[in-house]
Amino acid sequence: MRQPQFIRSNTFHWALAVAAVFAIFVIVLFGFIYWKTDDYLIARSDKMISRQLDFIAALPADRRIDAIGQHLGEDSRGVQYAALFDAGGRTIAGNLERIPPELKMNDIVRSVPIVRTLPSGQERREIRAIARRMPNGDALVMGREVDEAREISHVVGQALALGLLPAFLLCLLAGAWLSMRAQKRVEEVNQRVQRIIAGDLRERLPHRNVDEPFSRLAVIVNGMLDEMETMIHALEGVGNDIAHDLRTPLTRARLALERGRTNATSLEQLQAVADKAIAGIDQSLSIITALLRLAEIENSRRSAGFGNVMLQEMLREVCDLYEPIAENKNIALRVEASHRLGVRGDRDLLFEAVANLVDNAIKFTPEGGKVGIELSRAGQEIVVSVTDSGCGISEREREAVLRRFYRSDKIRNTPGVGLGLNLVAAIVRLHGFRLVIHAGPGGRVDIVCFDSQQG
Amino acid sequence: MALSAGETGVPKRAGEGAAKADAAIENELMAKVLLIEDDRETAEEITSELTDRGFEVEWAADGIEGLGKARSTRPDAMIVDRLLPGMDGLTVIEALRKDQMRTPVLVLSALGAVDDRVRGLRMGGDDYLTKPFAIVELVARIEALLRRPAESRETTLRVGALELDLIERTAKRGDRAIDLLPREFRLLEYMMQRSDQLLTRAMLLEEVWNYKFVPATNLVDVHMGRLRHKVDGPDEVPMIHNVRGAGFILRTGS
Repeated sequence: MRQPQFIRSNTFHWALAVAAVFAIFVIVLFGFIYWKTDDYLIARSDKMISRQLDFIAALPADRRIDAIGQHLGEDSRGVQYAALFDAGGRTIAGNLERIPPELKMNDIVRSVPIVRTLPSGQERREIRAIARRMPNGDALVMGREVDEAREISHVVGQALALGLLPAFLLCLLAGAWLSMRAQKRVEEVNQRVQRIIAGDLRERLPHRNVDEPFSRLAVIVNGMLDEMETMIHALEGVGNDIAHDLRTPLTRARLALERGRTNATSLEQLQAVADKAIAGIDQSLSIITALLRLAEIENSRRSAGFGNVMLQEMLREVCDLYEPIAENKNIALRVEASHRLGVRGDRDLLFEAVANLVDNAIKFTPEGGKVGIELSRAGQEIVVSVTDSGCGISEREREAVLRRFYRSDKIRNTPGVGLGLNLVAAIVRLHGFRLVIHAGPGGRVDIVCFDSQQG
Repeated sequence: MALSAGETGVPKRAGEGAAKADAAIENELMAKVLLIEDDRETAEEITSELTDRGFEVEWAADGIEGLGKARSTRPDAMIVDRLLPGMDGLTVIEALRKDQMRTPVLVLSALGAVDDRVRGLRMGGDDYLTKPFAIVELVARIEALLRRPAESRETTLRVGALELDLIERTAKRGDRAIDLLPREFRLLEYMMQRSDQLLTRAMLLEEVWNYKFVPATNLVDVHMGRLRHKVDGPDEVPMIHNVRGAGFILRTGS
């Protein structure tokens, strides 16, 4: 037999537990009230009995019988007991047939059982009573039936039934409602998530108002889904890019091989074909290498290997490396780095970033132009700029180039170059620096770093 | 003394014959190379190429077999694939190092699997190569491992008529003084320590410039062009040779 879902839910169990704890607490509280009230009433009744006994005992012997009669006559509820016995124990006056055997003379008030004769028959009663021996040898017994305790327990029981049961039921109902509501929302979320899993990336989780925890969770998850959707679309783009980039050189290689196989008549011709094919494959490999490198940097979280990088020396080394290339193209390459400035980072990666920028600058600057590497400080920030007298980067491309995975159409067909700026951007992002591409005329790219010396 | 195949036999590919013969000259001692590679086709290609160049090649298809062969045959150098069935390539090397076997190792690793452990190989005197690789690159690196320059206290390097004073930081070819920039000096020093040995562009970038990336431009060629211009005068016999599609060699003499 299956229980309804809400009974098995955690929320419902909690509601049940809270209801149980609440019930126990209320019962204990009522018990305490009952016990205290009972005590107080008995003490008050005992005091009254003692006072009446004192009063009757103080009367002259001949007036006691009248006093007892009057005392009992005033008792309309029939709870009072009073009797005067002679030395032999026979009743002289009052409503007790004999002295209760448990009662001792001249003692305090105590509970004793008595047998009362009523028209309906004999009845055992528990009463509070006191006995005292009079100077003339008579025994005076005064008592009172304490039925208030029973009344109180009745009232308490009623109060419990009236208060506790509805409260308990309310708890159960609230628990069941909450649990069913939660279940419903989970089911709702589940349906949406299933749709997302099935491939509908635009689906989002439902949320009502932001103050409710469940809705806040949904908003958080939706934020994550937004980010993931963007990334998945970007990845699709990359996949297409890679496919395109790889297909081109591979197609060339395949064509060369195919034609070579049918047309080549000499070893030299075949070798030329093989060289062409190898070049095509090498180009594909270099694209794969660049993409993997990019992925490695983008996925890397290794800031643990960061050290202090002295930029002045590093920039001079980059210049040293590219000077001959610039000279070959009749481009003046110079470094302006007069300050000794350091940043926290991975030296190899930063070197690669600057080298890539310089490489690009030299490549896109016409002969006789100028390329500069500058190191400067602007307030808290240290700026490494690579400038050139080339055409610069167009407004449209400037934005796009910083976007993740973006590759410019213009440079896509130049092997090894297409991912250069992406690589720089990835390295800069890894360091938490900023890449700023300035408007033309002339190219200018800044890497804005934070000063490690000043924290 | 055994003659190597490359010296006497007909080169398989005419265009590379000269380079092959030169590289093979030094393999007179029939260096023993142990290849641990699980892909049979790759292993066959490497084996036939190395055999052509005068190496004696032993092949093992998995890590455990490779470790056994390394212990029993005591090779002069090893080529170990990083991912092997049975036992990881780096674990094989670690096991050998525990046995105090200092055999130089060239590790073949997938492009995406180059981690700090693999990078660390170069610091320990070993080397690694990412798959896929050019076969010339593999041969050049194996030869470099086999002929690691001995720790020398010489303060002057001499190759043919070329002389490099490491203290004075000066260079001469015969009586002609060569004026070198610091970066050119470093490059020439590295080449003179490895004369008559094929040095690929990647090796030069890694060792001379200490760069771990592949630059977009043919940096090495430009630097080498400058150096060659200074070392080989117009009337002199060229010493620095460009091996097409492979790298550079500093040749001792004629």
